[in-house]
Amino acid sequence: MVSSKHAFWQALLVTIALFLIGLFLGMAIEGSRLNTIEDFYAESEISLMDILALNELITTGNYSCQDMIHSNLLFADRIYEEAIILEDFENAGQLTDDFKLAHKRYDLLRTFLLINSEKTRELCKGNFNVVVYFYEQETEDLAQRATQNVWSKVLFDLKQKKGADVILIPIAANGGLHSVDSVVSQYDIKRFPVIIINGQVIDELKSVEELEDYLI
Amino acid sequence: MNFIDIVFFVYTFVALYMIVLMIIIYLSNRGRMFNYPKGKIEPVSIVMSCWNAKHNIGNAVDRMFSLDWPKDKLEVIVVDDCSTDGSQQVIKEYAKKYKNFKYILRKKNSGGAATPQNDGIRIAKNDYIAVADDDSFPESDALKKMIGFLQKDKKVGAVTCSVLVKKPKKFIEKIQAIEYVVISFGRRLLDFVDSVYVTPGPFALYRKKTLIEVGLFDKDNMTQDIEIVYNLMSKGYKARMALDARVYVDSPKKLRGWWRQRVRWNIGGTQTLIKYKNKLFRNGMLGLFVIPFFSSSLFIGVFGIGLFLYLTIRRVIATYFTTTYSVSAGTALFSLSDISFNPTVLNYFGFALFLLGSFYIFFGIITMREWKKRYINFYSMIIFLTVYLTLFPLNLIDALFRMAIGKYSW
Repeated sequence: MVSSKHAFWQALLVTIALFLIGLFLGMAIEGSRLNTIEDFYAESEISLMDILALNELITTGNYSCQDMIHSNLLFADRIYEEAIILEDFENAGQLTDDFKLAHKRYDLLRTFLLINSEKTRELCKGNFNVVVYFYEQETEDLAQRATQNVWSKVLFDLKQKKGADVILIPIAANGGLHSVDSVVSQYDIKRFPVIIINGQVIDELKSVEELEDYLI
Repeated sequence: MNFIDIVFFVYTFVALYMIVLMIIIYLSNRGRMFNYPKGKIEPVSIVMSCWNAKHNIGNAVDRMFSLDWPKDKLEVIVVDDCSTDGSQQVIKEYAKKYKNFKYILRKKNSGGAATPQNDGIRIAKNDYIAVADDDSFPESDALKKMIGFLQKDKKVGAVTCSVLVKKPKKFIEKIQAIEYVVISFGRRLLDFVDSVYVTPGPFALYRKKTLIEVGLFDKDNMTQDIEIVYNLMSKGYKARMALDARVYVDSPKKLRGWWRQRVRWNIGGTQTLIKYKNKLFRNGMLGLFVIPFFSSSLFIGVFGIGLFLYLTIRRVIATYFTTTYSVSAGTALFSLSDISFNPTVLNYFGFALFLLGSFYIFFGIITMREWKKRYINFYSMIIFLTVYLTLFPLNLIDALFRMAIGKYSW
């Protein structure tokens, strides 16, 4: 009988080839998802610049506060929706760390939004709420992960209920960004997740109804 | 990429390698799957161990004598391992019916098949020994298709055949019927790389001289039919697979019986690996493929189930926390946003592997010409592919646990 022992190394070569093709396709899929995020980001960046320019106009008294508040809200809603998509892509990403980088850039955008929203509230004495949600990304602590999971749902429900009355800004606090660290230390936050509603720090999980008491 | 992702990628690679290996072996040998060397008629002794088989043993003996083989060149030896169900009366009746029929009635139950088989082999008068179970039902031409392997190559020490389920009726039998077909197909593929690692008890052919030389079946091993092949391979012999020769057997009809049988197989397989651990990377394909393959399968199975348990426990704890917190915050326990519609790369790999594995199984069934049999239907295939195969690692854990505490029997 003729033996087929050469099949062992042939199989190894074919498996390596198939595996590499699989990895390559996987990277292509992740790359395409990243491109989607990059496109969103580019547009969001333009929107932020637009808002910052608008802010400058308001300080010169040439523009209405109403438009400014409206722009902030639209921008906040937009990057909130993009954050959900990014998180989904990030969870599905296994081959590259590029999504983490994208996440950091979005956190920076959100920090800009936070600063600008606070400024707008001050300038315009606006009748809107700024809800900031600080959480830790990729935590291994199961209780903390569950708390963050529930906070996300509560805040989603709050946003659905209050709509344009609330600017919701979720920010990962452990991204190593100086600006975020600075905001965190400004509020003397020691543990996460934590919510800041119009300057008030809330670190205990609450229901939508309870959170409504903090809103104006 | 975290540690668990890396582990999953390694598992994927190993599984992909095995499927690709089988496909390549098949493609190189597709025209020879059912080939067997034509043998000549020589005297054969069939040794059957029997225990509490009064309903089967008569039919099995009749079947052996109805093999397409000259009756004067056929001897059937039944060794009763101290049955308590009256099998001995049936055996004695058959002793009157056939001329070349011998029987041994053991006074004490040995607790396994090896001892009665060894007793039978010792008194067998012929050089070729076929070992059979008390419920075996070989096709009439089985011997003719097997004996040539031993006659044409002196280095062949054992020959096995396709072991298939006899008339599967219950759902659990149908599932096993699929499994047996796939196992036979795979064993034939392993034959092309000299890696047949078992000659299952239902019907296998040996040379008496060789069996005596290697010390007969190991009575302390739970799967003497695996151990004997490792033993033969360690002494330079090979085992061959005659795919075209078929033997039909009764498979367990209840989950409990199936579980016990598989525990025994796993314990016996592990005992054999431990016994021959020193042969790793030695003695040809035994040390280069058979031992590494089964050792790594054992490790992968145990590690995989450990990882699965770890992930499951984490998921349960996380779900408990999330449920508790959700209730206290008055929010929904589950929402649409919890479902991800973005598969990971590993999901794609897993799906591709599932398709390839399914393809291999379908192909095995088609090659074995079992496709149109009634037991192959949509439900049996789906359950086989999704549920049945996942029970194996759990069974392995049970087997290892029983081995560790020393509580196991035939």
